[in-house]
Amino acid sequence: MTESKAVHERKHVWRNEFLLIISLVVFVGVVYALDGAIKPVFTTSTLLLTGVFLALVPAAIWLVFFYMQDRLEPEPKGYVVGVFALGALFAAAVGVPLIENVFRVSHWIYASTTATILGGILVVGFTQEFLKYAAVRYSIYHSDEFDEATDGVIYATAAGLGYATVLNIQFVVSNGGVDLGTGVIRMAIVALAQASFSGITGYFLGRAKFESEQIWWMPLGITLAAIFNGLFNWLRGLVSQTSVSLSNVAVNPWPGLAFAAIVAFATTGIVLWLVRRNLSMQAGK
Amino acid sequence: MENKKISLGDRYAEITVALITIIALIGGWFYKSSVENSSVPFNVEGITAQAPKGWLQSEPSGDELLRTTDRSSSGYNTTYILRKIPIAADTSASQVASLLTLGHGQDLLAFRLLEQREVTVYGKTAYEISYVYVESNPNLTHKNIPSVVRGIDYIYMNSDNAVVVSFWADDRNFDIDLGRFHLFLQSIKY
Repeated sequence: MTESKAVHERKHVWRNEFLLIISLVVFVGVVYALDGAIKPVFTTSTLLLTGVFLALVPAAIWLVFFYMQDRLEPEPKGYVVGVFALGALFAAAVGVPLIENVFRVSHWIYASTTATILGGILVVGFTQEFLKYAAVRYSIYHSDEFDEATDGVIYATAAGLGYATVLNIQFVVSNGGVDLGTGVIRMAIVALAQASFSGITGYFLGRAKFESEQIWWMPLGITLAAIFNGLFNWLRGLVSQTSVSLSNVAVNPWPGLAFAAIVAFATTGIVLWLVRRNLSMQAGK
Repeated sequence: MENKKISLGDRYAEITVALITIIALIGGWFYKSSVENSSVPFNVEGITAQAPKGWLQSEPSGDELLRTTDRSSSGYNTTYILRKIPIAADTSASQVASLLTLGHGQDLLAFRLLEQREVTVYGKTAYEISYVYVESNPNLTHKNIPSVVRGIDYIYMNSDNAVVVSFWADDRNFDIDLGRFHLFLQSIKY
């Protein structure tokens, strides 16, 4: 077996990840403030179109940063967009129908805390993380362009944002448009979560390609990402829920956004630390 | 940088990832079934049943002993109703069915009878009425589009009363929710 190594860290990749998190929070703040100040009046179709446009913004922000900063060690932009599209396609063709129509998750996942956690990990987590993994593994992974361990993070993030975009568009369409203020917060949370957990899968993918890892390495990566995914959704529900009465559950989405941003920072930080540690270990050999 | 060739180890890892995902989904499916089919015992006026757990259950009122609703179902919330109607000794099931049909015609919007027949359900003879109606919020300012609801009533004759078990579900969920209703139907003892 030929063994090769990722030799450098590609700082801009991490800068992009952190900038994405900050920009999404700023973006949400701006849309929320504008919505409050202007109080726009929409027709059904313009509300739907605005919602779909907003659903595309998180991925657009990341891609813009990526294009701007990926100058020294450029990844083929077509491949990045292609993996993004594949992530979106897998979400629309497999992920959403499987979770919503076959497993009918919304009918039972909120029955108890155990159901929320187990359903979130076994059904939602594994489906989403496997499809994002598949979008990278069965496209760019064997290409010569996937030539560094960090590429795993880049392409998996692209797949994750593709997946998030479809989830957000589906949310907008199924609700016939969304309230701009709370809708944009939800979109940012979904994008941050999907990008973060993809980062974990991407790290494992990168190492799986360039190092002789054990057979359990990649399954461990998917399982960890699925567990984080399931736990995140449960904890986000807890922090967002402000009060419960017999007739309804009051939800404040802001703590959910703060929680998503913290999780995204922490996950990206941990993946960055792992990549650095791996590089320094390789340099020491 | 040189890329690693696809090795046998890679292939095994790839298969293991797929296997782990399939095992997780199978586990999820079993867990989903256990949550959806979990029930709570119900016992009123000599009628016992296993009502779905986690559904919104109303207190008995009039001839209605149980009304339980799945608040998480989309569109019209799937509802089971259990009634005990006093009848004269010589009343037939088809006469009870006619009375129920008349009542539905008065109470339910755009009510249409689809089919009525005598059936055997889990070893018990029953009279089945299938129908459809439109559920619309009476509040004129409500913006929800009315739902098309499909219903089935099973009438069991029991000496001086008729036990009527009704299943109402949104037209889109009817076939999917019917299996769970049959578990409820099977559990009824009177």
